[in-house]
Amino acid sequence: MLDLARLQFAVTGSLHFLFVVLTLGLAPLVAIMQTRHLISGKPVFERMTRFWGQIYVINYALGIFTGLVMEFQFGLSWSGLTHFAGDVFGAPLALETLGAFFLESTFLGLWIFGWNRLPPRLHLACIWLVTLTAYASAYWIMVANSFLQHPAGAARQGDHLALTDFGALLLNPSLVMAVPHVIGAALFTGSFVMIGASAWHLFRRTPEQEFFRRSLRTGVVWGAVGTTLTVGFGYAQFGVVGPIQPEKFDDPLAGGALGFMILIGQLLQLVTVFALLPLLFRDLLARFRWLHPVLMIMTPLPFVAAILGWLAREVGRQPWLVYGELSVADAMSPGLTPGMITFSFVAFVGVLGMLAVVDYLLIARAVRRGPGQVALGARGDADHAPAPALAL
Amino acid sequence: MEIIWLAVFAALLIGYFALEGFDIGVGMLLPVLSRASERAGEPGTPQAHRDRLVAAVAPFVLANEVWLVAVAGALIGVYPSLEGEVLHGLYPVVVALLVSWVMRDAGLWFRRRLDGARWRAFWDAALCAASWGLALTWGVALASVVRGLPANPFDALGLLYGAVVAAALAVHGRAFAAWRLSGADEPGTGRRLALTAALAALPVAVPLAVVAPTLLDHSASPAALNVLSIMALPVLPIVLAAQVWVWRTFGPARDPKTAARLPSFF
Repeated sequence: MLDLARLQFAVTGSLHFLFVVLTLGLAPLVAIMQTRHLISGKPVFERMTRFWGQIYVINYALGIFTGLVMEFQFGLSWSGLTHFAGDVFGAPLALETLGAFFLESTFLGLWIFGWNRLPPRLHLACIWLVTLTAYASAYWIMVANSFLQHPAGAARQGDHLALTDFGALLLNPSLVMAVPHVIGAALFTGSFVMIGASAWHLFRRTPEQEFFRRSLRTGVVWGAVGTTLTVGFGYAQFGVVGPIQPEKFDDPLAGGALGFMILIGQLLQLVTVFALLPLLFRDLLARFRWLHPVLMIMTPLPFVAAILGWLAREVGRQPWLVYGELSVADAMSPGLTPGMITFSFVAFVGVLGMLAVVDYLLIARAVRRGPGQVALGARGDADHAPAPALAL
Repeated sequence: MEIIWLAVFAALLIGYFALEGFDIGVGMLLPVLSRASERAGEPGTPQAHRDRLVAAVAPFVLANEVWLVAVAGALIGVYPSLEGEVLHGLYPVVVALLVSWVMRDAGLWFRRRLDGARWRAFWDAALCAASWGLALTWGVALASVVRGLPANPFDALGLLYGAVVAAALAVHGRAFAAWRLSGADEPGTGRRLALTAALAALPVAVPLAVVAPTLLDHSASPAALNVLSIMALPVLPIVLAAQVWVWRTFGPARDPKTAARLPSFF
C-alpha cells in the first residue's frame, strides 16, 4: 500500500514536471519574441509569438491539472508530513500559491484573452509578469523540496519540527545550485521543442521556411545557454549534496538515473555547443536537410533527462520523507486503506494520463498546422469569420 | 495574527465561491442557457450559443479558479495540523472534487483545439457534467466539515446541501451570463450579479462561521505565521489589483456586436 501511495505521487509528480518544465522553458522565449515584435514592429515576431505562445498555452493546461492533484495529495496521502513539519514545509507552499501562482494565473488569463484588447505594452507586460511569477513559483516549490532533502532552518520541538531560521530555509545548500540547474533544464527543454518542431517543417519543406529558420536559430542559441547552465550547475551540486546526503546515489535506481541523466545532458550540451551552434553560420543547419531527422529525434531527450534527474533526487532521499527526521512510511496518513488509495490511484492516474496523451497529440497537431492557423491572438476579421456568432 | 490569517483564509474561500461560482454555474447551465437563447430567437446553431456562453466566462476562469489553489496553500501554511485531517476525512469527496475540477478545465482548454463538431460537443458535455460534479461535491464537503467529518459524507443531508450549493451557483451563473452578454443596454444586470455573488457565497460563509473557533485553535505557530505575514501580506494588494485589472479589461462590451467578433481561445 505504501508503494502504491508513493507510486501515485511519483506518477503525478513526473507528469506535472514533464509539462511544467516546458512551460518554464517556453515562457521567457515567447516573452522575448513579443518584446522583439514591439521594438522592431516586424510581423514575423508577432507570428512567432502567437505560434510558440499557442504551443506554450496548450502545454500549460496539463501543468495546471497535474498541479492541482499534487497540491491536494499532500493532505490526502501524506498528512504525517504536515503534522510533523507543516510549520516549516507549509510556509513556502503557502507563499507559492498566495503570491506567485495567484498572480501567474491572473496574468496568464489577461495575456491569453487580452490579445487585440489590451494596449500592446500592457499586453507585453502580462507575459513578462507570467514568466516572472512562474519562476518565483518554481523557486518556492524548490524551497519546499530542498527542505525535504535537507531540513535546514528547523529544529525539533517535542514531536514536530519548528521553524527557527527562515533565511536558512531560503539559502538551503540543497537549493542554491539546484535552482539554476532546473532553470537551465527548462530553457534547454523549451529550446529543443523549438528545434525539433522547426526541423520538421524545414524537412517537410512546408511554406513556412523563413519562419522556422528563425525559430531554429532561436532554439539553438537558447539551447546552448540552457544546456551549459544545466551541466555547469549539475556538477556544482555534487559539492553541496555530498556533505548533507552522503549516501544519496548508493541506491542502484538513484545512481542509475543520475548516470543516464548525465550521459544525456553532457551529450546534448556537446552537440548543441560544438555542432549546432557553429552550423548557424550562414544558416547551414537549416539547409542541411539530412540533419533534420536527427534534430527531431533529439526532442524527447531533455524530457527523459528531466524525469531521470527528479528520480535521482527523490529516490536518493529514500527511505526518508524529511531527510533524517521523518520516514516516508511514518508520513502516510493514518487510516488510509488499500481500497482508498487504489480508488484514487485509478481516478487520478487514469484521468491525468489520458489528458496528458490528448494534450501531446494536440501539441503535435498545432505544430503540424504551422503558424498559418493559430487561434491564440486571432483577430476574427470579417474575412476569417463568415458570421459573428461563429467567430466567437 | 491568528485573526488576520483567519480573515485571509475566509476571504479566499468566500472569494472563490463568489467568483468561480459563476463559471461553475454557467457550465452547469450550458445546455439550458443555450436553449433559452434559441427560443429567444437569437441567430445561430446550438453550438454557436454554447460557444458564446463559454466565451463569456473564458477570460475570468484562470483568475477565478486560482482562489481555490490559494485556499489549499493557505490551509497547508496556516492550518497545517488541520490540513491532513480535513482532506483525509473527506477522502472520496476530495477525489471526486479534483476529478471534476480537472475535467471541467479540460473541457475549457480542449474544446476548441480541434475543428470537428463532435469533438466540441463532447468537451461541452464534459464541461457541463464536471461543473455539476464540482457544485455537488462542494456541497457534500461543506456539509461534512460542519458535522465533524462523518464516516459517510454522501448521506441525505450531504446530498441536500449539494443541491443547495448547485442551485445557488446556477442562479449566479445565469446572472453573470445576463450581465456579460446583454451589453450595456440593460442597466440592472450588474446589481443583480453582485446580489447573486452574495447568494453563492452564503453556503460557504455559514459553515465557515461554524468552524471558525476550530480553525483559530489549529493555527500554525506564531513564528510560522510571522514569516507568512511578512512575505505574503504585502503581495496581497498586488494580487487584488491584478484581479481588478481583469474585471476592467473584460467587462461587458458597450457594443455587443464588436465583442462577438473577438474570438475566444476557450
